[in-house]
Amino acid sequence: MSAPAARPRGRTRYVVAALACGGAVIAATVLMFALSGNVQYFRTVSEAVTSQDDGRFKLMGAVVPGSRRRTDDVVTFELTDGKKTVTVRHSGDTPALFEDGAPVVCEGRWGRDEAFASDRIMIKHGEEYTPPKVDAGGQGG
Amino acid sequence: MNRLNIEEPTDTPGQLLAPGVRHAIGAVALVALAALALLGLWGAPPDDRQGEAMRLLYLHVPSAWLAYLAFFVTAVASVLFLWRRTRSMVWDRVAGASAELGVIFTGLTLVVGALWGRPIWGVWWAWDARLVTTAVLFFLYLGYLSLRRIPGEPEAAGKRNAIAALIAFVDVPIVHFSVEWWRTLHQKATVFNPELSAKIEGVQALTLWIAVIAFTLLYLYLLDRRYRLAVLEEGQAERELEQAIRERTGDAVAGVTP
Repeated sequence: MSAPAARPRGRTRYVVAALACGGAVIAATVLMFALSGNVQYFRTVSEAVTSQDDGRFKLMGAVVPGSRRRTDDVVTFELTDGKKTVTVRHSGDTPALFEDGAPVVCEGRWGRDEAFASDRIMIKHGEEYTPPKVDAGGQGG
Repeated sequence: MNRLNIEEPTDTPGQLLAPGVRHAIGAVALVALAALALLGLWGAPPDDRQGEAMRLLYLHVPSAWLAYLAFFVTAVASVLFLWRRTRSMVWDRVAGASAELGVIFTGLTLVVGALWGRPIWGVWWAWDARLVTTAVLFFLYLGYLSLRRIPGEPEAAGKRNAIAALIAFVDVPIVHFSVEWWRTLHQKATVFNPELSAKIEGVQALTLWIAVIAFTLLYLYLLDRRYRLAVLEEGQAERELEQAIRERTGDAVAGVTP
């Protein structure tokens, strides 16, 4: 139903459309950098220990083998990034791959007792894929 | 000859691929997809850590690859349209057809990724840089497709669309390098990482390559079919316009002598 647009109007229209698209890209980029604290999805154990913030954040590290203790609906374990180690007290479900040595992202805040109180655990798996190892030990652990 | 009895524009080809080539590509794509299903579901071993869920890799990675490829083709076709020497409605149609496929495969990437994230990460979705920039990509090109529906004089509309496609393409490298530039829950690239050393081997790697080849052939086939549909749509629109003009002028003649 559009009347054939006069030359300048047609031009204006696509300039406006292009500007709108450009604006969308810029807005998205600005949004990402404005939320820069959240652009980095997690903090390492060392960073979290150094900064000791009050608010809620995500903490990433590897589960120290043999450190998991389960009591009722709370799991306590040690989380390390190789330099620093903290105690995490997690209440809630744990993913299937929550195992010794697993790289995990815990969401929560510092508790009063120097432990990190987490209520959500996500597994950060790596980019390597390998067939199951067929060693004598089998799939223990 | 022309089953739909639609007049075709005579100055541009009605399809991208010769029928023989198209049929060959379609047949090889089917065989490759069948091989992918067999290898992906049974032939390839599961992952040591992830188990059977890892098989989603054989859908997730080729879908994401196709999204990149489709948007790249849209960008190249848009440049060819903007460049005066190569300007042709062929490139405008290729850009639109490819973007449509790109949006479909971006959507598939997001859906398969969510289905994979739930059992492995423990969550369907995470607000990390890779996932957010991919969602932005999906909506940018959805916007581009809506923009293409705004009517206008073909050349002006074509230029407008091409500029929008080039702006949207900025997000493609951002999506790809997001896992290098920012910390994400999403893994880094298994194959196209900065070191270009694949972190997958043997039958698993073979299956992944077959998946990429099968999806690429499927893309070529679908691109040709979508392009053909665009030509038919244009022919139909032109025919309807002529019909409307004919009816109008007929009415005008009738109006003179009531």
